[in-house]
Amino acid sequence: MTSKIIIDTDPGVDDALTFLLALASPEIQLEALTSVHGNIGIENTTRNALSVLELAQASHIPVARGCEVPLVSPLYKSDKNVHGKKGVGNANLPEPKSKVINQHAIDFLIEKVNAQPNQISIFPIGPLTNIALAIRKDPEFVKNVKELVIMGGSIKQGGNATPLAEFNIFADAHAAHVVFHTGIPIKLIPLDVTQQCLLTAKDIENIHQINSPIARFIKDATDVYLDFYRKHGIDGCALHDPLTLATIIAPELLIFENYYVGVDFSGGISNGHTFADLMNVSKKPANMQVAMNVRGRDFIDLFIERMKDLCQNISS
Amino acid sequence: MPKHIILDSDPGIDDSLAILLALASPELALKGVSTIHGNASTAQVTTNALSILELANASHIPVYKGCDLPLVKDSLLGPETHGDTGLGYAKLPEPKTKFQGQHGSDFIIEEIMSNPKEVTLVAIGPLTNVALAIRKEPRIVENVKEVFIMGGAIQHTGNTTALAEFNTYVDPHAAHVVFHSGMPMILTPLDVTYQCIFTKDDLDRLLKIDSPITKFIADATRFYMEFHDEYQKIDGCVINDPMTMALLLMPEICDYQDLVVDVDITPGVGLGNTFADFYNYQKKKPNIKVAMGVRPRMFMELFLERMEKLAKTIS
Repeated sequence: MTSKIIIDTDPGVDDALTFLLALASPEIQLEALTSVHGNIGIENTTRNALSVLELAQASHIPVARGCEVPLVSPLYKSDKNVHGKKGVGNANLPEPKSKVINQHAIDFLIEKVNAQPNQISIFPIGPLTNIALAIRKDPEFVKNVKELVIMGGSIKQGGNATPLAEFNIFADAHAAHVVFHTGIPIKLIPLDVTQQCLLTAKDIENIHQINSPIARFIKDATDVYLDFYRKHGIDGCALHDPLTLATIIAPELLIFENYYVGVDFSGGISNGHTFADLMNVSKKPANMQVAMNVRGRDFIDLFIERMKDLCQNISS
Repeated sequence: MPKHIILDSDPGIDDSLAILLALASPELALKGVSTIHGNASTAQVTTNALSILELANASHIPVYKGCDLPLVKDSLLGPETHGDTGLGYAKLPEPKTKFQGQHGSDFIIEEIMSNPKEVTLVAIGPLTNVALAIRKEPRIVENVKEVFIMGGAIQHTGNTTALAEFNTYVDPHAAHVVFHSGMPMILTPLDVTYQCIFTKDDLDRLLKIDSPITKFIADATRFYMEFHDEYQKIDGCVINDPMTMALLLMPEICDYQDLVVDVDITPGVGLGNTFADFYNYQKKKPNIKVAMGVRPRMFMELFLERMEKLAKTIS
């Protein structure tokens, strides 16, 4: 049984690696990508989505363009250079030949999910604006989504956008609030586990031994990303977004806890902070499963193996 | 050429009166009504919108169901103000017409985008549909002609919390999105609506005409008057929404100020509070034209005349 998934995404280096991992995984049927603002503006994230699919000879997979600004707050632009000028590090992908479909991401998500109730899992790996608006626009959508596997938040780890907040959640805290409290089954993949999955320069060289445009892309795309981590004294870059796919291709690597998780959207110092009620002081039932532990190196090894397979298939 | 208008509304007693005023006014061409949670649930206000249009022989005007819930907050409805059905003591028959398949926010987008700079949007409920439309299709901001909004309380106290007016309190986040969208907006806050009281005498004047329209107005406003008496010690009722609609017909009813208006979306006691930066401390460009002064009887005469005229045609 393959799992049908839609990735809602803001590519983004690790987003791009997520598409590649999905395409390299026979357990997964990638139905579509929906784009959103986030790591970079919507024009770039949408183009990058199309370009990466073309690079992997998968441009039959539809891309729907989504929201360009958050639900309520102004657009958040990080001053850190994590994803490079165009969102894919130093990779120079050609302009895509394929185009986005003529339907807004919100409507595409609603239509696709409602047409196949409980069949489609959505993997939001950027800010949650599209998902929140789909929820608000059509209450049926909530009942019909099989599951959300969200890369976002930080429970005990500390943030990467502010001392308390993780980037995706901080970039649209209101949307996260809507999504967290809506009743859709959620698996959360927070920084607590993604920061333990570090792809090193050596790993990238390992993949790059294969003569493939995929391998070259991975190397060029992760250049800036690795530099960013190196500045923080870390050898390797975290595969935040790809780790969401472990829930399908290697669930045994993750340990989940059931928590009640909220997000602060008060606009104060902890805006965008995701917190778990670990001692259940609020007496609220758990609203999601949160990955709190991962066998990080095992995931990286699996990632490398899958990328090498993909490189063998798409070589030049 | 009549003004091309679309209405986003949560009928609601005063919303119903705004719909009737639009229908009674040859200056206005009402192209459709999108519905929104607020005074009652979206399912209920959608039924109400259809029923009112039927009551006024206007069931050719399409109704589009909109959002069920506020953008971010939990739901808040107003049964103590508008009754459980949203129309006070009025009992309208189940509508024969049905609402359209298109979502309210998509109707707003399509109508504006296919008639650039021609459409006036009148939004008299919580602003969820409008905010959703802006987020989904940001180009409506440049393409809408103008937006009339009933909501907020600038120097007036709130009617839902001490600081906040109902529509902005129900969905402050949506109001925030709309207020900062850059659309040309005219706001009718409680500052002016609370000076326009529809009294028992006004109702008696309408009741001289025997018509389902006047009967509806009487049944709906009786509940509304009881509410205003019990909760606000007002003799009569405040008909906010037709007041907004009246400004499309007779702008001189109000005096306006171009103001920098914002709404508090932090979850404290001020949530939903709309305020103006009168001294422009923030050095921002005014974003909304706000009705701050009003000639109440000028409005009420217009409203009563139009209702009389409509009642005479439908008996």
